[in-house]
Amino acid sequence: MKKKILSVLLTAAMMSTLLAGCGNGAGSADSSSDQGTAGTTDSTTDNSGTADAGSSQTDAPASAEPVTLKWAIWDEATTPYWQDLKDAYEATHDNVTIEMVDLGSTDYMTVLATELSGDGTDFDVVTIKDVPGYATLVQKNAIMALDDYIAADGVDLGKYAGATDQVTVDGKLYELPFRNDFWVVFYNKDLFDAKGVPYPTNDMTFEQYDELARKMTDTTFGSQVYGAHYHTWRSDVQLFAVLDGKHTILDGNYDYMKPYYEMVLDQEADGVCRKYTDLTTEGLHYSAAFSGGDVAMMNMGSWFIATMIANLQSGEYDSSLCGNWGIVKYPHADGVEPGSTLGTITGISVTSATDTPDAAWDFVKFVSGEEGAAVMASSGNFPAIMTDEAMDLIVNLDGFPTDDASKEALNVANLYLEVPYAENVSEINSILDTYHGSIMSGEMSIDEGIAKMNEEVTKVLGQ
Amino acid sequence: MPKMDEAQKTARIDSLQEELTGLITAVRTETDSKKRRKMIAQIGAYNRKIDTIKSGKMLSREAKRDLVAYSFIAPNFIGFCVFTLIPIVFAFALAFMNWDGSNPVQWAGLSNFIKLKDDVFFVAALKNTILYCVGTVPLTMAASLALAIVLNQKVKGRGIFRTLSFFPYVASLVAITSVWKMLFHPSKGPINNLLYTVFHVPQDKLPQWFTGGLVLLSMILFSIWKYMGYYMVIYLAGLQGIPGELYEAASLDGATTWQKFRYVTWPQLSSTTFFVVVMLTINCFKVYDVAIMLAAGGNGTLTESSTVLVYYIYQKAFIDWNLGYSSAVAMVLFLLVLLVTIIQFRGQAKRDRV
Repeated sequence: MKKKILSVLLTAAMMSTLLAGCGNGAGSADSSSDQGTAGTTDSTTDNSGTADAGSSQTDAPASAEPVTLKWAIWDEATTPYWQDLKDAYEATHDNVTIEMVDLGSTDYMTVLATELSGDGTDFDVVTIKDVPGYATLVQKNAIMALDDYIAADGVDLGKYAGATDQVTVDGKLYELPFRNDFWVVFYNKDLFDAKGVPYPTNDMTFEQYDELARKMTDTTFGSQVYGAHYHTWRSDVQLFAVLDGKHTILDGNYDYMKPYYEMVLDQEADGVCRKYTDLTTEGLHYSAAFSGGDVAMMNMGSWFIATMIANLQSGEYDSSLCGNWGIVKYPHADGVEPGSTLGTITGISVTSATDTPDAAWDFVKFVSGEEGAAVMASSGNFPAIMTDEAMDLIVNLDGFPTDDASKEALNVANLYLEVPYAENVSEINSILDTYHGSIMSGEMSIDEGIAKMNEEVTKVLGQ
Repeated sequence: MPKMDEAQKTARIDSLQEELTGLITAVRTETDSKKRRKMIAQIGAYNRKIDTIKSGKMLSREAKRDLVAYSFIAPNFIGFCVFTLIPIVFAFALAFMNWDGSNPVQWAGLSNFIKLKDDVFFVAALKNTILYCVGTVPLTMAASLALAIVLNQKVKGRGIFRTLSFFPYVASLVAITSVWKMLFHPSKGPINNLLYTVFHVPQDKLPQWFTGGLVLLSMILFSIWKYMGYYMVIYLAGLQGIPGELYEAASLDGATTWQKFRYVTWPQLSSTTFFVVVMLTINCFKVYDVAIMLAAGGNGTLTESSTVLVYYIYQKAFIDWNLGYSSAVAMVLFLLVLLVTIIQFRGQAKRDRV
């Protein structure tokens, strides 16, 4: 009998092995966070002495000790700016070697957070893809507060146009943005020309946008045209609602999202846009949808501009289908200033565990500063510091739409982060994602879904 | 053991010998059998101790033999300890704590478990996982047994059919879920097309196979189709192990086909069935891949109607970094599997005795 119980236990144990993987590396955690904080204080005192030398980085002494910085990034092969930034920095810093480690984009923040757990990490600089991931790293003490460095080197946070305020944690800033994408509406000019409908403009209201999308729609079998396209992300639908500046996704009450869910679901029912359930079943990527030439308008982040330019040039996208494109500002609700849009910042920071915080900071400062901004702009990406030169670089890129409206569309009036910082932002994000899926797939009515969001997020906020 | 001189040695042996004789007399008078057995074991220990001192070696022969035996299982056991046993024990402990993987661990007592009952997602995941198991286990078992019996007959093209039914098990999950999704595509799939054209189901009433209440059904159907081939092979092996004389004897007694199945095949297969059911149940409770691939769509989130326990464990652990809470969920899963396995072992033991 004893043997039997043992074998029962072992069988059950075997299967739960799979689940228990999270337990490794337990004991070491305390010591690592201690080391982390110790490192931070040391380095800041050191730095105040060396700050002058650091800030005049271009004439950094060539005799300085060789340093290798390990930098966490994603999609090295398809994203050219990593290599550009590395080359530009190494050209002026003979003693520094940047070693890039590609963690892949799909679950980048999860992999990174796992890498930085415990004290086993040897990353010096990490790129931070989204705010929930940032919140996780801050709470895990995995990245350093940069305030002392910022003060010592006199970095002007005003240049980031308020983006840094939305990720400040208890008065401390743990990352500096180097890329700042905002959402615009992409449209296919050929489709509008064929229908004889005037192009969308930079000051559409939501009613005008809806009307335009319906006008462009053609449900004839074989020659379908979708007036609009919404990717499966939550941001694509429910964040229309935060553009009035009165609401954020951290409110705990989401009744204000209802009109936008209604607009999109009505459009879906009338065949104006592809069905959400079709999109999730097919796993259709937004780029494939737009480049297929049957989508008149699509709301998407400005990162897609660089993708469009590059893929049209390489011939991956058929230019007869989508080669004639343009962008306009996001539609706006009545009484809201046109040009209010959503933003997504990509940040860069120094790990708490690094042995060379000063060198790592210098690289962070470079990437997030004006020099980094110029490098980013040269490949059509939007740097966090939007200087006039960077803007000129982008609009004069070969392949950028030549009309004035597209250029004007890049002037953002108000930028609201898709996800601003909050302590429980990761959980709130999961909840909103889940019920967005439930509403869009028809599992729940809009009212039920929003009621659930309210209920569950309130629970999280009350903790 | 420090070296002792001869005088000390003899003194020690004498004192041990004395205790030993005392014990032996005590055993003679002891009536309680349990205590007696204990004492006899003690006598053995004393004898070994005396032997060790007499021979003057560090280890007795028995100890050496044991060590050699342990060294044989060590390679496997050390691996098992480091990668399985310690993490499991740690996960048990973690369920009573709050930890995010970096900051100091905090004691949480039972609060993680108390929170579970108010957690909508946990309750949904638990319900879905159990429903999935209840749907999948008996149907897969029945399907694989039926297949095995059919393909155990001498039919033409038996090899081809065996290969065909084993194929889904071998094929990559990602590839076959894509095919499955195209087949059941809500607006373009041939299945819904058939429903629309042949059975005249109105377009807005066509089933949405991957959302709402139907998603579990899709998952169950998919799992049966994918895994029945594997269990069919196990059943085939079991069927071929049944001696032909039993069937012969049954036919002589005039048993019908059904009776042969009922009184020969089924009882003879009971240990195979037991293995199949245990493996199936454990695999079902572990479901994650099928749910993610079929129901999660592009951004990898499962809604209330499709979430399963393992997904929730992963989400709590590696997205929200709430390792304590996620371990608590893992414990619930562990207890579930343990409970089901114990019941099955009990049932099997009873049947063996009969």
